[in-house]
Amino acid sequence: MRRQHRSRRAPTFPHGYRYRLDDQDEANQNYLADEEEEAEEEARVMGVPNGQGQPTGNTWWQKLQLMNEYLWDPEQRMSLARTGQSWSLILVIYFFFYASLAAVITVCMYTLFLTISTYMPTFTERVKPPGVMIRPFAHSLNFNFNVSEPDTWQHYVISLNGFLQGYNDSLQEEMNVDCPPGQYFIQDGNEDEDKKACQFKRSFLKNCSGLEDPTFGYSTGQPCILLKMNRIVGFRPELGDPVKVSCKVQRGDENDIRSINYYPESASFDLRYYPYYGKLTHVNYTSPLVAMHFTDVVKNQVVPVQCQLKGKGIINDVINDHFVGRVIFTLNIET
Amino acid sequence: FQKTPEIYSVELSGTKDVKKTDKGDGKQKYRGLKNKCSNFRKNDQIEEIKEELDLDDHKLSSEELEKRYGTNIITGLSSARAAELLADGPNALHPPKETQRLSMMVAQLCTFYGIDLVLGSGSLLSYVLLIDSSPITQVYLGAVLALVVILTGIFAYYQEAKSTNIMASFSKMIPQQALVIRDAEKKTIPSEQLVVGDIVEIKGGDQIPADIRLLSSQGCKVDNSSLTGESEPQSRSCDFTHDNPLETKNIGFYSTTCLEGTATGMVINTGDRTIIGQIASLASGVGNEKTPIAIEIEHFVHIVAGVAVSIGIIFFIIAVSMKYPVLYSIIFLIGIIVANVPEGLLATVTVTLSLTAKRMAKKNCLVKNLEAVETLGSTSIICSDKTGTLTQNRMTVAHLWFDNQIFMADTSEDHSNQIFDQSSETWASLAKIITLCNRAEFKPGQESIPIMKKTVVGDASETALLKFSEVILGDVMEVRKRNRKVAEIPFNSTNKFQLSIHETDDPNDKRFLMVMKGAPERILEKCSTIMINGQEQPLDQSTAKAFHTAYMELGGLGERVLGFCHLYLPADEFPETYSFDIDTMNFPTSSLCFVGLLSMIDPPRSTVPDAVTKCRSAGIKVIMVTGDHPITAKAIARSVGIISANSETVEDIAKRLNIAVEQVNEWDAKAAVVTGMELKDMSQEQLDELLANHSEIVFARTSPQQKLIIVEGCQRLGAVVAVTGDGVNDSPALKKADIGIAMGIAGSDAAKNAADMVLLDDNFASIVTGVEEGRLIFDNLKKTIAYTLTKNIAELCPFLIYIIVGLPLPIGTITILFIDLGTDIIPSIALAYEKAESDIMNRKPRHKKKDRLVNKPLALYSYLHVGLMQSLGAFVVYFTVYSQEGFRPSTLIGLRLEWEKHSVNDLEDSYGQEWTRYQRQYLEWTGYTAFFIAIMVQQIADLIIRKTRRNSIFQQGLFRNKVIWVGIASQIIIALILSYGLGSITALNFTMLRAQYWFVAVPYAILIWVYDEVRKFFIRLYPGGWWDKNMYY
Repeated sequence: MRRQHRSRRAPTFPHGYRYRLDDQDEANQNYLADEEEEAEEEARVMGVPNGQGQPTGNTWWQKLQLMNEYLWDPEQRMSLARTGQSWSLILVIYFFFYASLAAVITVCMYTLFLTISTYMPTFTERVKPPGVMIRPFAHSLNFNFNVSEPDTWQHYVISLNGFLQGYNDSLQEEMNVDCPPGQYFIQDGNEDEDKKACQFKRSFLKNCSGLEDPTFGYSTGQPCILLKMNRIVGFRPELGDPVKVSCKVQRGDENDIRSINYYPESASFDLRYYPYYGKLTHVNYTSPLVAMHFTDVVKNQVVPVQCQLKGKGIINDVINDHFVGRVIFTLNIET
Repeated sequence: FQKTPEIYSVELSGTKDVKKTDKGDGKQKYRGLKNKCSNFRKNDQIEEIKEELDLDDHKLSSEELEKRYGTNIITGLSSARAAELLADGPNALHPPKETQRLSMMVAQLCTFYGIDLVLGSGSLLSYVLLIDSSPITQVYLGAVLALVVILTGIFAYYQEAKSTNIMASFSKMIPQQALVIRDAEKKTIPSEQLVVGDIVEIKGGDQIPADIRLLSSQGCKVDNSSLTGESEPQSRSCDFTHDNPLETKNIGFYSTTCLEGTATGMVINTGDRTIIGQIASLASGVGNEKTPIAIEIEHFVHIVAGVAVSIGIIFFIIAVSMKYPVLYSIIFLIGIIVANVPEGLLATVTVTLSLTAKRMAKKNCLVKNLEAVETLGSTSIICSDKTGTLTQNRMTVAHLWFDNQIFMADTSEDHSNQIFDQSSETWASLAKIITLCNRAEFKPGQESIPIMKKTVVGDASETALLKFSEVILGDVMEVRKRNRKVAEIPFNSTNKFQLSIHETDDPNDKRFLMVMKGAPERILEKCSTIMINGQEQPLDQSTAKAFHTAYMELGGLGERVLGFCHLYLPADEFPETYSFDIDTMNFPTSSLCFVGLLSMIDPPRSTVPDAVTKCRSAGIKVIMVTGDHPITAKAIARSVGIISANSETVEDIAKRLNIAVEQVNEWDAKAAVVTGMELKDMSQEQLDELLANHSEIVFARTSPQQKLIIVEGCQRLGAVVAVTGDGVNDSPALKKADIGIAMGIAGSDAAKNAADMVLLDDNFASIVTGVEEGRLIFDNLKKTIAYTLTKNIAELCPFLIYIIVGLPLPIGTITILFIDLGTDIIPSIALAYEKAESDIMNRKPRHKKKDRLVNKPLALYSYLHVGLMQSLGAFVVYFTVYSQEGFRPSTLIGLRLEWEKHSVNDLEDSYGQEWTRYQRQYLEWTGYTAFFIAIMVQQIADLIIRKTRRNSIFQQGLFRNKVIWVGIASQIIIALILSYGLGSITALNFTMLRAQYWFVAVPYAILIWVYDEVRKFFIRLYPGGWWDKNMYY
């Protein structure tokens, strides 16, 4: 149908300035996302010889038919205005084009990884200065619990117990070495050599180790919270000046927290845990922890606490990032 | 009452045609509907006009008129009464509303932004619903999108308004004054303040200030050409001569000019109620067609929207089946659609068009409507006026006949070389007659102006003769002084000759010289001798035959022929003191000596034949439509090439074969000359056939109303029609045409209002330059759109990968906006400055339905080839940045959820390092910046490859278009500023990027360039082949 129309209209007016727009090449006359419009046009062209406009339902039906014909034209054995041969040709071409593109990309990525060490990150400036996280952590930094209702704090205990499994004394003694405190544990050698890790035993955390008080003080309203500094490959605190932790009330009355015990008592991360060599070689590395034991906190009231790292190379006042060098959480202990 | 129904019935049937073509061609979906609505209004309007045209004022006596309008012929209206009547409205035409037309294309693109905005607020809402912890970003996003919509909208409007303003200032008229009798006093008031019943006086040179019924007239003649198309001056008297108000002599029409004489008249209609006003308002009722570029943009919007929505829906389904929450999936859908909207395109297209409009204005084409810039480029038929457009609009001496020989005179614009033989004695005599028998004079004070440009007081033929003699003989006024005029009979239509008697400049010769010119046959009747080579010889049969042959030949050229003769009055009969009396004619007017013939024509402009040839090679059919005589029209058509040298009309064939016209097969003739009378008798089908089957057509003796019929006929053939016009009556045709071109000098305001374009120099050749610019802009818009579309994929892919593979988002929405509206804007405008790849005037006009602005190869090549390569290049940069910072691709896959959790502040990377949320966020922004830079770098390559579609860049010249390099520089500078200048402003999501990341994408940029060169190479190698068909856009 449509070809007839085309050819009938063809001689009346000079069209298409290129051979490629030749009437015989139906394939080229259909454009992307154009089916509907084409169909409409055709429908209207068809409407002319009959003179009067046709009822809309009819034209819709025609449109549908033309659409259908566009999708599959049994006469010409064409789908989407391409014959099977044309389709296979175009698919083959695209296949080769994309295959070679994929090859190019593979080669590029391969060369990229040749230049990047798997042991040491190329740059670490985005991950410095170190961030801080606390445990227990359950999606929220607000510790609300009722001392007399174990259900409200039981999950903290479970979380802490789970977290500290890797710090069990037996495990640490078995896997890691006891290295001298107060100095870096530097291991020279090839970067692909396995590195040893220093022990950080659960027992270092004393009252907060959960060994003596399996509820980590939650049952007595004296919760333990563990603080851990984010690992950064190659990060070294200042020699002789380990990174210290200090907590205070962030906003409000200073006296809301009357005493905090830190374990280890130095409230610092010992230098022997640095530097970190990356997880590929430093397999058994255990992050050092500092436990804060809030032994005397005002009850039945939200107390915002800010724990900061202090030391050379530590920044704890980035406005946008509340986890770099500090951590803020609230305690609301009900009795 | 014959003419009136014709004018309006044209319009009535015109409306019907519109409806029919609607269903027939179906260019637009909505027009039919719109027309149905507007038809009611329009029919009412026409009815109204018809009623009002039942004008019977011309039939009334002055007493009846006085009674009807409550006025007095002697004392006029009272000022109080006039003020009262003025409340009905001033005597001025309301300019037609332009706003609707202004924004058609803009509206198209604005729809896009509408989607954008709705989706933007939608996403905002969704985020609020999700109670995301940082709705701030979404507020930003919403605000930025809104700002983008508003700013680009305002910008586009400003651009359009600017070009309209040029027009407004241009068409501003000097306020007309009218001499009116009020309170029995003559007063000069602005003609706007005239009211019905005013008594006005007009004199030669005035524009008639309103429709007036003449009460008295002294030799009043008016030029009604702008209304009826009759170019001959029409006399006006107070007698009722015809039932039809347009034909009767006692009505003068608003905006026509009084050429000579004086008259008094009573105002019977003012402002929009005048005949002209009604026609003008009718013109604004003729349906505005969507311009081709608006259709193309609509088509483009359909394509992009189609792609966006289908990808969006596919990924919505994928997201849902990947068990994303539905709300998230909706957000993804929105994101995909937003990424597909080319935000910068509206600004780019309007700027590009207005740049071309400016360029065209420099070449004397003032474009009123920005979209018309491109319309001119797709024009396939130009219906051109003859007078003034194709011709110089001034009579010029073209041929001379004396000594039994025809000489050709130079008719070029400056008359520079008159090469005919001037040595003959006959010529000396002829020159003397030409000089002396002429009443025209140069206006004083024009010494420094070249002769051809001097203003002359006198009619067209006399002006031609004056200038002709001035050029050849030098100071004509001096010659006339030396040959003092003693008596004169001016030309009139009964005598058909002009005569004057002079003293000679030879002091020894006491004879008087009588010189005469006029209609050749009348002059010959009066002659008994003829001058050959300076010798008087008796006029015998053979010389008379020679005269007739020459006369017929010159007449056949469509020229106006004048005969010249003289007589030396014997000194004894007519002594120096003889008093000549022109009333009694006491001197001989027969037995004169015939000297020669001289023929004049309004010659074609010297640039026109070239321009017509260009049109022809550009596949544009030029149709001449003129009110002139068919012979003149045909002669001019031949001389400018509208009828080419070797093509014949039916009449020519008949003459050659010596058979009757009816026996000639009509289709053998390539050319056709059709008169208005023939056109009147033709049916629509016959006209269509005529237009389709003759490649060279001249319409002669047509009325301006018939122009509309011709235009509609052409449009039925699917042609894009350009029409030139100057008269008020042309305005419906100008409106109806796809592009109406009004004459800047000769055009009436109504015509200029109705037109899309104004030719400042009235020159046909300017249209051709316009066509060239229009075609170039179409090509260049194609390049611009291809350039703009390409990066859409590079902006979209990250989002798709983000959804499916779960990588941290490679590029953010705001960053995308910075590409679309920042780095990419100037380069895409720079493509508008690209020179044509080949001679664009050597190809056929584009076919409305087949040569689309955005076609399948363009979309496929931009999206699936270059776009995909760009995305890959950008991803390599992205992976490089993340890997070097610690996140190797293997870790990144599926990391999205953890990565985006605000509570996770110790996320492990591939090296075991732990990242806080903000550190990750910052890295993400670094990724955005890197992706942005990568796209920018590859867009430079894209820009360079888009310079050509077929030729190699090296054929086109890498440095010929300097603006491209400005564009590239701007891209780099904007990127530098964003990365390093604003790096600390987190709201914009840009960070300082390590210098080396700028270069990672460079190999891909080169790859794109090489790939495109290969594509173009194969296109050139196998023109018309499979590759060409699928890869040439």
